[in-house]
Amino acid sequence: MSYCVNCGVKLEPSLTECPLCNTPVINPKELYSKKKISPYSREKGQVDVVKRRDLAILTSIVLIATSLSCLLLNLFVFSGSLWSLFIIGACLLLFVLIFPAVIYTKLPIYISLLFDGIAVGFYLYMITFNTSSKEWFTGLALPIVALATILVEIFALLLRSFPVSFITTALYFFAEAALLCVGVELLIDHYLGLPLHLVWSAVVLTVCAVIVILLITVLSRRRLRDAVRRRLHF
Amino acid sequence: MENKNLKSENPKKKSNNTSDITKKRARKDTRTWYKLDLSAIVYPTLQRRDFSSVYRLSVVLKEPVKPDILQQAVDLALVRFPTYKTAIRKGLFWRYLEPNNRPGPFVQKDIRNFCMPMPFKAGSRYLLRVYYYDRRISLEAHHCLGDGTGGMCVLQTITAVYLRLLGHSVSNGYFVLDVNQPPDPEELEDAYMRYANAKVCPPRPGEKTYRVRGTREPFYTFNVIDGIMSVQEVASVAKNYHATITEYLNSVLLYALLKKQQTEWHLKLRPVKIAMPVNLRRFFPSKTLRNFITMVFPSIDPRLGEYSFEEIVKQVHNYMRYYINEKFLRGDITTNANTQRNPFIRVVPLFIKDFVVRQFYTRVQDKNSSAGLTNMGALKVPEDMKQYIDRFDIYMGQPFSSRTNCAIISFEDTLTVNFASSIMETDVERYFFRKLVEDGIHVTIESNRESLQESLSH
Repeated sequence: MSYCVNCGVKLEPSLTECPLCNTPVINPKELYSKKKISPYSREKGQVDVVKRRDLAILTSIVLIATSLSCLLLNLFVFSGSLWSLFIIGACLLLFVLIFPAVIYTKLPIYISLLFDGIAVGFYLYMITFNTSSKEWFTGLALPIVALATILVEIFALLLRSFPVSFITTALYFFAEAALLCVGVELLIDHYLGLPLHLVWSAVVLTVCAVIVILLITVLSRRRLRDAVRRRLHF
Repeated sequence: MENKNLKSENPKKKSNNTSDITKKRARKDTRTWYKLDLSAIVYPTLQRRDFSSVYRLSVVLKEPVKPDILQQAVDLALVRFPTYKTAIRKGLFWRYLEPNNRPGPFVQKDIRNFCMPMPFKAGSRYLLRVYYYDRRISLEAHHCLGDGTGGMCVLQTITAVYLRLLGHSVSNGYFVLDVNQPPDPEELEDAYMRYANAKVCPPRPGEKTYRVRGTREPFYTFNVIDGIMSVQEVASVAKNYHATITEYLNSVLLYALLKKQQTEWHLKLRPVKIAMPVNLRRFFPSKTLRNFITMVFPSIDPRLGEYSFEEIVKQVHNYMRYYINEKFLRGDITTNANTQRNPFIRVVPLFIKDFVVRQFYTRVQDKNSSAGLTNMGALKVPEDMKQYIDRFDIYMGQPFSSRTNCAIISFEDTLTVNFASSIMETDVERYFFRKLVEDGIHVTIESNRESLQESLSH
């Protein structure tokens, strides 16, 4: 049993330093004594995980009920066209979007984002199927959805692999927004059979380029970075 | 022949009866629910991902705890406490407690970072945890179930049942309730409403006070420093200052906070205030096991001049004498109850109430005190239980903002002061215990804080 030379309190035998002032305990008579059992457990506990099963069941039932009732109405009452496919597709899309957040949270983010992209593509295909117009789907809709999905995946990858702050997030966002706009304009030009020229997306590209250069400068200068963080914290 | 018939029929009847009873009980359970009491309304609103209002009570026995027998004791004893075997649910306007028949709560091995957040929807939805470690049994409860007195009844009853299962004879009395009796309706009541009948509502104190600043520990760390001392020694020192033990320890904490404020860099001085819960059962007879406390705020204003320690004790002594009496406390609970009784407030949806209460708490109530201090006082246990118990501990749980909470409890001649905080600095604790040592009290320190060697080895 030792006393803290600094505080004068008696210390419980398992303590190796005074918890009040961090002065190490050295008792010349007990230099090689065995380690004593602490009165507190040394194991760290984990906070329980919340299962959102009720919410999952509720959303699934609402979506399924909506789809089913629309399908039945379409088959037996308002059977002029296949209008229920729009609603069933929308329900399916919502389900895929909600799935990773509510039902199965362990899915890697990249895979759930990919599924989201596929679901959007599928919904657009359903519209094509219903309206029997095919060219715009293959020529325009699908490439734009693919481009957006890839950009979102890259955004997620960047956020996950580098340290996150609101400045870096803004940097990625503006860079990707510029890329998306350029891509969309080029795809439209290609679809309409026009020569590939940047017109409106050039404006977006310039504005985004200025912002991106500004953000990179802020990020590379520590003093600037700290000043921005200090003034814009929320 | 008749006998045979009877014999063959009886078991069938019995099984029918028991299934009927369980069905009836289940049906009754679906009908039973409990309104949150007046102070319990606030605690669930403050729930965050990294914060729950959880307090811990522990008892240190003389022999290592046997977990399987403890589990049996928990199962047997909890039937007696229907408001503790509950889950919390959201209504449209208020939250409420409903009976929880899911398996559990299960006893667990103790952990270092106790008083962890308690998500309402996690696991089996119990708002109660029981831990064991070496000779220690610990009960953690969410504050919306009840206050320290209610929790102590649960813990002591569990301990008594545990000791009985080990073959010792322990009688009922004080905090140990009879597990074979049905719960008294008075134990489940919201006692505030019975006594909130003053004709005037005194205003709530609201003043910005000194805040202890410190480096936040990472999620989720809970730092504890315990000081163990002799009741007689503290009582005699307190007597020298003409004060009671509570008044004396309150003064020492105020002194520590004042010293901390002086040594820190500051633009201007602020008053130092302590939030101290008062057990209302002392003034308003009630057997309730739910919350029945109110806060008083002993304070020192250093802007008026420098206070010597004797002056602090005198100020606290007079404050306690002036404020802690049946009349003032009745006014205080009436103020709180009137807010809840107001029909305009009652019809506001829960999420708006949550938002307003949270804003009020973080902006006004939390800033109204520099530290928390609670004194459970001298605990009494039945005479034949004394020999199995070493001491009791009480922890106020994680503070809402970065500060330290202090809880005091005494049993026989052992007085335990438990500091709980989630900041790295230990200045307040150091000034507190050094002052006790200066006054000639022998203090033994225990802690779960990581030593420098340990943190370097990580």
